[in-house]
Amino acid sequence: MKIAVLIKRVPDMDVRFKIAPSGTAVDESGLKFDISDFDGYAVEAALQLKEKQADPAASEVVVISLGPDVVQETLRKAMSMGADRAVQLKHDAPLHDSYAIATALAAELKGGAYDLVMFGRMSIDTANQSTGTIVAELLGLPIVTAISQLTVNGGQVTARRELEGAYELIACPLPAVVSIDEGIARPRYPSLKGIMAAKKKPLETKPAQVGEERYKLDKMELPPERAAGRIIGEGKDAVPELVRLLKEEAKVL
Amino acid sequence: MGSWSASSVLFTIVVVAAFGFFSYNVQRLVGELQLGRHDDSRWNDLPRRFWNFLQIGIFQKKIFRDGVAGPMHAAIFWGFCVLTLGTIEMILGGIAPGFSFAPYVPAPVYAFYEMNQNLWGALVLAAVSFALFRRITKRVKRLQGKETHADDPLLILSWIGALMITMFASHATTGIVHDLFWWSHALLVLGFLNYLPYSKHLHVVVSLPNVFLSNTSGPGVIGAMRPMDLESDIAVFGAKDVTDLSWKSLLDGFACTECGRCTSVCPANLTGKLLNPRKIVINVRERLEAEAKGDHSKTLLDDFITEEELWSCTTCRACVQECPVSIDQLSVILELRRNLVLGESRFPEEVMPAFESMEQRGSPWAFDPGDRGKWAAGLDIPTMAEMAGRNQRPEVLYWVGCMGSFDDRAKKTTVAFAKILKAANVNFAILGQEEKCNGDAARRMGNEYLYQMLAKENIETLERYGVKTVVTACPHCFHQIGNEYPQFGGNYDVVHHSTYIESLMAAGRVPLRDDLHEPVRTFTYHDSCYLGRYNDVYSAPRETLKRALPMLNLVEMPRSKDRGLCCGAGGGRMFMEEKVGKRINAERAEEALATGADAIAVACPFCMTMMADSVKSRDSHVDVYDVAEVVAGRLA
Amino acid sequence: MANTNVFAFAESRGGELRRAGLEAVTAARQVADSTGGQVHAMLVRRPEAGGAAAGNSVAALKAHGADVVLLLEHEGFTNYNPEAIAATVAARLTSGAYRAAIFVASAQGRDLAPRVAAKCQWPIASDVTEFAVGADSVKVKHPGYTGKVIQSFTLSAATAIVSLRPGAVLPKKPDAGGAEAGGVVEAISPAIDPASVRVVVTSTAQSEGAKLDLGEAPVIISGGRGLKEAANFKLVEDLAAAFGNAAVGATRAVTDEGWRPHSDQIGQTGRLVSPQLYIACGISGAIQHLAGMRTSKTIVAINRDKEAPIFKVADYGIVGDVLEILPVLTAAVKEAKKGA
Repeated sequence: MKIAVLIKRVPDMDVRFKIAPSGTAVDESGLKFDISDFDGYAVEAALQLKEKQADPAASEVVVISLGPDVVQETLRKAMSMGADRAVQLKHDAPLHDSYAIATALAAELKGGAYDLVMFGRMSIDTANQSTGTIVAELLGLPIVTAISQLTVNGGQVTARRELEGAYELIACPLPAVVSIDEGIARPRYPSLKGIMAAKKKPLETKPAQVGEERYKLDKMELPPERAAGRIIGEGKDAVPELVRLLKEEAKVL
Repeated sequence: MGSWSASSVLFTIVVVAAFGFFSYNVQRLVGELQLGRHDDSRWNDLPRRFWNFLQIGIFQKKIFRDGVAGPMHAAIFWGFCVLTLGTIEMILGGIAPGFSFAPYVPAPVYAFYEMNQNLWGALVLAAVSFALFRRITKRVKRLQGKETHADDPLLILSWIGALMITMFASHATTGIVHDLFWWSHALLVLGFLNYLPYSKHLHVVVSLPNVFLSNTSGPGVIGAMRPMDLESDIAVFGAKDVTDLSWKSLLDGFACTECGRCTSVCPANLTGKLLNPRKIVINVRERLEAEAKGDHSKTLLDDFITEEELWSCTTCRACVQECPVSIDQLSVILELRRNLVLGESRFPEEVMPAFESMEQRGSPWAFDPGDRGKWAAGLDIPTMAEMAGRNQRPEVLYWVGCMGSFDDRAKKTTVAFAKILKAANVNFAILGQEEKCNGDAARRMGNEYLYQMLAKENIETLERYGVKTVVTACPHCFHQIGNEYPQFGGNYDVVHHSTYIESLMAAGRVPLRDDLHEPVRTFTYHDSCYLGRYNDVYSAPRETLKRALPMLNLVEMPRSKDRGLCCGAGGGRMFMEEKVGKRINAERAEEALATGADAIAVACPFCMTMMADSVKSRDSHVDVYDVAEVVAGRLA
Repeated sequence: MANTNVFAFAESRGGELRRAGLEAVTAARQVADSTGGQVHAMLVRRPEAGGAAAGNSVAALKAHGADVVLLLEHEGFTNYNPEAIAATVAARLTSGAYRAAIFVASAQGRDLAPRVAAKCQWPIASDVTEFAVGADSVKVKHPGYTGKVIQSFTLSAATAIVSLRPGAVLPKKPDAGGAEAGGVVEAISPAIDPASVRVVVTSTAQSEGAKLDLGEAPVIISGGRGLKEAANFKLVEDLAAAFGNAAVGATRAVTDEGWRPHSDQIGQTGRLVSPQLYIACGISGAIQHLAGMRTSKTIVAINRDKEAPIFKVADYGIVGDVLEILPVLTAAVKEAKKGA
């Protein structure tokens, strides 16, 4: 089985971001980067699929990432988890248009003879959740998105997708594209053995054939500061006010 | 005459055969040790080694920590030392009839020698009888355990008893009866010698060398882990089997006599976890013997020692502290953990966020690194960067640590200590955002890769600011920066805040309120393992408390100072679940509450969390304070 | 002539119109009012034998501003049929004079909208919180970086797909009575055979009610030692049930005591969660716990000790006895849910 996993390098989200002077990017100084969360689940799911094959060595997991040379670090991380080889689609400028990105990814995947192409449900920085679907369309392959369970059996994918208060079971023939939601598998922690092995695995760099950008970023800004927490009252008499705030201010009720 | 010479010829043959067989066994055992990893850290600092040999070996320092078994064992041990002289005389006399030391020494000396032979012979006999009696009539808890060779001690004790009886009998008789006892004694001696290599009582010969070769009481830095060379030290990560352990760890297996002192003080074992330090040592020897016989079907990790045992360890070092023959149980546990994490990425799943966060955010908790210095807001405390910007360098760097920076309870300690420093007019600064986790938890959990990454980054930062003196309120930071960073070229004078405050107070630099009507308070102080057993700081926190509270009634828990029971958070346990048995912090909190103290003092943020949590869950109103808070509360 | 009509996808499940559908139509109405075009809302379902619900759905769409209800009925639409629906929507969009197509980024909308975009080769803006349709461009705001950065984009195209964040536009009937009276129903047929698709949804089922996974639940009600004993977790469960979409969590202290299973633990050594709403009941807020829930969108804390660190991270706090407050809150939430 030949599996491609498309991964993106994103900053660690547990920080307070600053906007770069350009106004169209976050200030990257001091930020740590890693594989985007959902893409990490996809890598793990791919590795588990490979390991479940009768002859895992006959299967291959290829990780692909689009971006400047720093994405090589992210690709190495995926290889330290166990991916067999990596491809960097080199493109230095930031991209936001899913269609333009998908064009470059599809060009690389086409002719790769992959049985399964895996994405994370979305990247956690730009959070568009559309690149995988466009890639599938460009490749003429079926896609099942945002799945939290996956089994591959006899050329058939079966998957589960979570809905609001419900779920769907989905079937689809291979070759196919899937995008991975959380809950599928917790990404493994690379062992030092894996990190050492990854240094020797092949990493190929090619120019990315990016499509036309029709979706342009004008600016980035920080959301208004979260209002400082407040104690709205004491005892059960405060409940009506709480319910009002949840309804009208927080809009969660 | 004829019978004498026939006897001496026969005896000479017996002696040669016995020593020949013994030396064969010694070679066999040395060969087994050579299966271990090369370790050249065992011959440095000979004065220290001789000192340990004398104190711990000859003078039985640790043996005496047990008030009953101590004198008993010392009697047997010293008896053996004295009686060995007699045995030499006897053997020489057997080979060359009529031989005696008498002609070679002044008569009073020989008389003294003879008197001692009898005296110690009697003492040994008494001690052995007592030991046998105790073994048979009382089930001493620490001597039990299914991993032990329980029948062996009975055999050995009886054997020693028989040695003494035949010795005395041969002295007291003449003629054929004498010969009979003499031969019995001689054969028992030689038989004993040759039985040892096949028994846990190999202890008798290996203990003294083991104490000499051990680093657990120095030489070197006590409790520091072996640095791995991550570029080349990668054939096997840590240890998976005995062949990956230092030959000294294998020697530990020979030195152990299964006395169980280690296990009897192990906080994990005491609270019902699977970990049993004695079993670890016995497993090493068992596995080594199989390996030496060519049995490669099993490995020490998994087949003998399970993951669950390894992850139960708090690295509190009580086992190492207690061992009378300086065995290092902990190094085996930590090397095996390294293999689990670095080689196979096997660890309790709840540890993952801590590892990831240390790597991503330089703190085991997923807090924004930008918030690290937030506690100092409004306190007018400069960062090193700010001072460097003004071309200034502070007298000391206050290393706050992750708990002190992010944990709300620990932040109170942080602020308290900062206030003391200010009150004492200490010129200090903090690193703020530039500080990162010291890496101790990562290293103790076996993640040497992550640890070295953090250690090197921190050293780089400290070097950049030319830091010389570091004070910290966290014993783990204290131990790391002071004791383990030198392995990577970071050499600083690191002082724990309890010591620092005490010295400030002793110098009269801390202005305290003059409260004439201060109420009498009863405190008990809980020792942090990394402050106490790892760094020998026992009196500073206690003295600090006494100086701060003139009317203090300081009561000690039964287990205190170097016998102190761990709070349960060390060795990365802070980041693991405690699902089996009683919680360690519950055991410790109960002990603290049983003293009747109205407050518990600690000097470690981890201990603070563990103790405060457990005290709270008992609906107790006893307060838990850091020593700095106690002092800060009394500032003028 | 310029494209002025606006397409809205009216999401349904099991034949019933969903709130997301009304949100899409409401948003489309606002756009159409500015472009001067019509709102075409597509409803997909199995043919109903004139059931009341069917009529209600159409009426509701009209009431919220649909000029034309495109009714796509087929036996193959028992479950969601992404390929057939996408093909039909795309065919409609590329043949009609549409300026924009509005979806709501629900689970279904997030799947469907990019499929349609890919087929039409229209640019797409996803998970949008604010948008404005201009003559030849659409400007949108889209939170990224887990909500920590607001990104503003321009889609430069005469046609665009906008997928709205659920709740960004609340369903609203137009002031002027809407198109209710004039709305028409146009039956359309699938562009491809719904039975011969590759991606087949074989079944749709309700989630296992109260057993919502902590990682997925939009609301988490969590209990700490302040609940005093295991039995009092009933109060937490009751509140979760009142929300309907809530899971129950606990602190390490609670799971250590065995009041709740370890799998319920939220915190550094348990689950790391960030739901829309997190209600901490009787939780003081130890670092271990905060590390696991601090990133929740809205945090409510109920605790007796007003100095408890949990109040520092909480948006709304109530100081008091959690055992007394929870039943009152549960009743109030039930009441509020009834009205929604």
